[in-house]
Amino acid sequence: MPNRRDFFSRISDGLMGTALASLLADDVRAEQRLHDLSPKKPHHAPKAKAIIQLFQNGGPSQVDLFDYKPALEKHAGQAPSRDLASEIRAVRETGGLMPSRYKFARHGQSGVEISEALPHLAKVADEITVVRSMHTTHLAHEAALFMMHGGRILPTRPSLGSWIAYGLGSENRNLPAYVVLDDPKGPPINFIQNWQSGWLPAVYQGTRVRSEGSPILNLHAKAEDPAGIVDLSRSLLHRMDAAHRDRHPGNVELQARIANYELAARMQSEATDAFDLSKESEATKEAYGLNDERTASYGKRCLMARRLVERGVRLVQIYIEQQIWDNHNKIWEGLEYACGKTDRPAAALVRDLKERGLLDSTLVVWGGEFGRMPISQAPGANAGRDHGPSGFSIWMAGGGVKRGFTHGATDEIGYRAADDKVSVHDFHATVLHLLGMNHRNLTFQRDGRHERITDEFPARVVQEILA
Amino acid sequence: MSNWIAKPLIAVLAAAGSLAAAPRFESDILPILRAKCAGCHGEKGAQAGLSVIRRDALLKGGKSGAAVAPGKPNDSLLLSMTATGKMPMAGPKLTAAELGTLRQWIEEGALDTGETAGSVRPMVAQRDVETILSAKCWVCHGRREQRAGLDLRTHASMRKGGKSGPAVIPGDADGSLLVKRIAAQQMPPPNLQEQYSVRGLTDDELAKVKQWIADGARPDDERPIEVSAATDTAITAKDRAFWAFQAPQRAPLPNPSAHPVDAFLRAKLPAAEPQALLRRAYFDLTGLPPTPEQIAQYDNNYERLLDQLLASPRYGERWARHWLDAVGYADSEGGNNSDLARKNAWRYRDYVIRAFEKNKPFDRFLTEQIAGDELFDHRSVKQLTPEHMDLLAATGFWRMAPDGTNSTEQNFIPERMDVIAGQLEILGSAVMGVSLGCARCHDHKYDPLPTRDYYRLVATVTPAFDPYSWLPGDFPCGGVGAKCDENNTRTFVAKATPEYEAVAAHNAPIDARIAEMEKAISALNKTDASFTKDKNALNEKIRKEREQRKLPPLIRALFDLGPQPPPTRILLRGDAASAGPLVAPGPPSIMSAGLPEYRPVQLEHSSGRRLALAQWLTHPNHPLTARVMVNRIWQHHFGTGLVSTPGNFGRMGAAPENQPLLDWLATEFVRTGWDVKAMHRLIMTSAAYRQQAGENGYPLRRIDAESIRDTILQLAGRLDTKPFGAPDAIKQMPDGEVITESRRRSVYVTHKRTRPISLLETFDQPFMNPNCVQRGQSVVSSQALHLMNSDLVRENARFMAGRIADAVGDRPDAQIERAYLLALARKPTADELRAAREAMERSIPEWTRKLETEKPAEPVVSRARWLALATICHTLMNSAEFLYLD
Repeated sequence: MPNRRDFFSRISDGLMGTALASLLADDVRAEQRLHDLSPKKPHHAPKAKAIIQLFQNGGPSQVDLFDYKPALEKHAGQAPSRDLASEIRAVRETGGLMPSRYKFARHGQSGVEISEALPHLAKVADEITVVRSMHTTHLAHEAALFMMHGGRILPTRPSLGSWIAYGLGSENRNLPAYVVLDDPKGPPINFIQNWQSGWLPAVYQGTRVRSEGSPILNLHAKAEDPAGIVDLSRSLLHRMDAAHRDRHPGNVELQARIANYELAARMQSEATDAFDLSKESEATKEAYGLNDERTASYGKRCLMARRLVERGVRLVQIYIEQQIWDNHNKIWEGLEYACGKTDRPAAALVRDLKERGLLDSTLVVWGGEFGRMPISQAPGANAGRDHGPSGFSIWMAGGGVKRGFTHGATDEIGYRAADDKVSVHDFHATVLHLLGMNHRNLTFQRDGRHERITDEFPARVVQEILA
Repeated sequence: MSNWIAKPLIAVLAAAGSLAAAPRFESDILPILRAKCAGCHGEKGAQAGLSVIRRDALLKGGKSGAAVAPGKPNDSLLLSMTATGKMPMAGPKLTAAELGTLRQWIEEGALDTGETAGSVRPMVAQRDVETILSAKCWVCHGRREQRAGLDLRTHASMRKGGKSGPAVIPGDADGSLLVKRIAAQQMPPPNLQEQYSVRGLTDDELAKVKQWIADGARPDDERPIEVSAATDTAITAKDRAFWAFQAPQRAPLPNPSAHPVDAFLRAKLPAAEPQALLRRAYFDLTGLPPTPEQIAQYDNNYERLLDQLLASPRYGERWARHWLDAVGYADSEGGNNSDLARKNAWRYRDYVIRAFEKNKPFDRFLTEQIAGDELFDHRSVKQLTPEHMDLLAATGFWRMAPDGTNSTEQNFIPERMDVIAGQLEILGSAVMGVSLGCARCHDHKYDPLPTRDYYRLVATVTPAFDPYSWLPGDFPCGGVGAKCDENNTRTFVAKATPEYEAVAAHNAPIDARIAEMEKAISALNKTDASFTKDKNALNEKIRKEREQRKLPPLIRALFDLGPQPPPTRILLRGDAASAGPLVAPGPPSIMSAGLPEYRPVQLEHSSGRRLALAQWLTHPNHPLTARVMVNRIWQHHFGTGLVSTPGNFGRMGAAPENQPLLDWLATEFVRTGWDVKAMHRLIMTSAAYRQQAGENGYPLRRIDAESIRDTILQLAGRLDTKPFGAPDAIKQMPDGEVITESRRRSVYVTHKRTRPISLLETFDQPFMNPNCVQRGQSVVSSQALHLMNSDLVRENARFMAGRIADAVGDRPDAQIERAYLLALARKPTADELRAAREAMERSIPEWTRKLETEKPAEPVVSRARWLALATICHTLMNSAEFLYLD
């Protein structure tokens, strides 16, 4: 039967950690922990306190953006080898090797190579590390997304963000630790499963915040009651609940419930402020592209992310309109749209964080669930590229990552990661490391196993990209 | 341009290795193996079929597969077993230097003196070839189809071949049609690969097929592993001694005159107030509170109350919900983003509700779910009765796990094995009380569940869940995928029914008209100016005709796909591409001691493997089935089971809080004929259940998500009790909230995995992935936000106030009293009455001001009084006492 200690295997929002801890001090054994969002001590001194993940659903094409492959020009149109062909799904539509239409150049003092499709990013090239040797294991979006977020190609596992919230808690008592900003034009594939907490307590799951309309579900009633009514109802409720609690002395769950009603009231004001972009300067809005229809939506979310990180939110994940990088056909049109929508806001975010002195303590990560094939899919002018899980590129900035650096390489045609390969597990271990955690020690006891995000897979921190 | 793809690094590694003295088998390796391994794997015997004293024996390997793969140290069991210290089991381990020598030898190609790099090839066994062909060829040349007369499943059938001649000519790889067609990339046909979720063979795979044929296409001389609990050496006596794997023992009652439960478990607190007990019993058995009228009628005859509640249709709905959690019921497929609807899953839900309502004996209930299709010959029965339909619907049990195989991208063998794994996880956690997932990839670390037993269990279902002959989704198939028609779908099309005849008669003239119009379209002249217009007009007509078609009666079910079930092999490390030894079907050995041997039931129409599994599970001496179920019943009466980990009775699960009581209840359950309602009566009449709530007493607990929604509707007088049928729709609002306009009980509302109803999700309705044997009970601020601000709660509070005013008039005291009775099943105390009346009186002017400015034309005073009462009702719906069972 539930007793006080059992409550620890239950959950609470957090924000009442101190009150509960004192209430329970005598009851708590050292190894037990309260599942709340109070700040936790990292394993080692962290480089980054917060992370903004700019998730690029669909699989951006590495050979058109970051990974220049002259061999594709030399051998344009040649048929792929049997091994490559065996990984193709749409066999009938497949053509030969297809070079990029974009010109590549080295940018900044560091000379990071970026294609002309990302002119804004090129201007902050000296701030970023491009990893060109990422690889994953499954070529379907769903499975690859589960892999990227949860470390396995199957659902049910906690997302990286949930692990971070579990490991570090939040530094703001009035806001969620893990905020998800999805695109009003459509949710990503796998939807809420991208930020689920799996078998970690639900308090660590991402809180989906909308960038249009009411940011948090039911934060306010659709038709407001008169202010006096709200107060009357609250005080009557408090009275009822206090009497009920007194009939059950020492019941932590009832105590937590009362605290949560108080938190809900605080959130109504604080959350509203955090998402209010009208307080930003005109120059900032312009920089993020809020005045341009193409960039306004993504820019708004990037700017919200900065405001949230300023307020101590641990992790902000921004999703993109469904999967605009999934360019199976008409890739040149598709890339123009996707880059046009995201390039400027993403670069503005990096620069803005830097100017505000937040970049050193904020890790920005840009990338999708896989990359794309160096061969063409669909004929002629409609040509696109199919999913390519064996090699792809991401970039990272700030938060203890090298500035103006390129890591790893794919093979001659950009198909498969070849040098200094970085697996998804390596990526997870590295992100956790930057946030002050060791992926081997960030564990959760479940069914007698010490679960961790990297599971039993080999994983290493990519030391080469650490500043 | 030959190096597009990184080739294996053997050459590079070999070059590096040649700097050291290159090890050779006779001179360098054999001495190590003789010293450390040959005791068990040598002249005296070859444990696990492996001998290490000859190189070809190492290449061939033992029952776990090849021990040495030349050039591939990571695929060589010899190295991984010794390097991880698993081997030798006894005696000194290999030294680091010895391991280094072994690794170098394998990396360089496992050579012997005088040989050159690359000259030693890995052995290819028939099972290696079978693994490749089963994934890439059997869909068309296997169990359900033999295109061109070709069956590639067995050695004999490959030799025999199809209408073009033998597929395999031993010793002549390049002359074998199998190789020719594959090498020319004619097979698998490129234009069908996507549709059938098949990929072409890689170089490596083709090389294996060729080598096997070139080496003589030798058949494996293999017999499936059979296990008898009586002689099984894999399980130790100590394993068998663990309490959960021994049959429950019925201890004599410590005090024969006491209530049996109380004889084992003494209540610490005095009996609860009658009204608190009344509310508790109502929620426990029906998921709803008593109405004021039911409260008034209650004459303290508690046992008669229990009889009434157990006879209520609301009871079936309530307890079906618990079972549906345990088996992971959802109205959508899950497994991928499209999360397609499972349009016919509801028949299983209705079956479960009826089963609880009618108090179907649990052993029968379980048997029907596991093998309802084997209980009668559904293929040749003349007329399907409602009972037959129920037996088929019951097998929907096997169709609950998330299943993304409706997408061609996720319909490969590994994903199919995932679906089977999901189902076995459900069977394990909901029925057997063990976690089976670990044993899929390695022997269970804590419980005596070897991987062998996992795959033996897989073999009990593969006649129906054939990974190489996988059925597309529900008919009509919503997704994409292989051929889907009435004969190729996992929904059973109930043909032998009058309903089917009627539908067919209805559809026939429509189909004739459609066929005619399709003919007309093909006859149109493309060069005519009106071609597009005419074609579109006809297509539009066809579309309208199609809308008039009716669907036949469809049952989402599991049934054997005909004779000759596929071979089931242990998949090494769970990897579908690494086939291990063959296994025969059977249940876990650890639970089988003292039970009759598992033998498939001899049936004409089906393999009988699942019926035998059901008989094994429901044997009166089964160590777990009855315990797990009585524990579940206990858990839903007390919040926590006697074993607090209801899905894991194994070593990593919790020990039973009171094993004598658990075992007494389990044996009583069997003794009463697995009578679920009798078990409720037994538990609920105990003093332990009837005591006051509080620490050490009856555990205070929150009502669950569905009870919250259903109760709010009932308080508002709006609950629609219409039972059964297709689930009611949900919809997503612009702000993302998922709601339903249905007023039926939540169990009848669509449960779409990716679109949970926001209110239910917030109150811990589980995400079925695959199932949930114990719900979380969170306390988060979003719950407060929902109850305070969501339309559902606010709107129904107003309905509740309106119904109260209708019932008792406009006297505030009478109104408040009824509000308390409705929400809390008790009258307010004098203090509470005063506080609520004051709040009401003070809120009337607030509402009046608002109404005067907004709707001056309407009666302001009476509306303000109604809204003030609604404020009280809304506050009650937010209160802890409303949400918790005292």
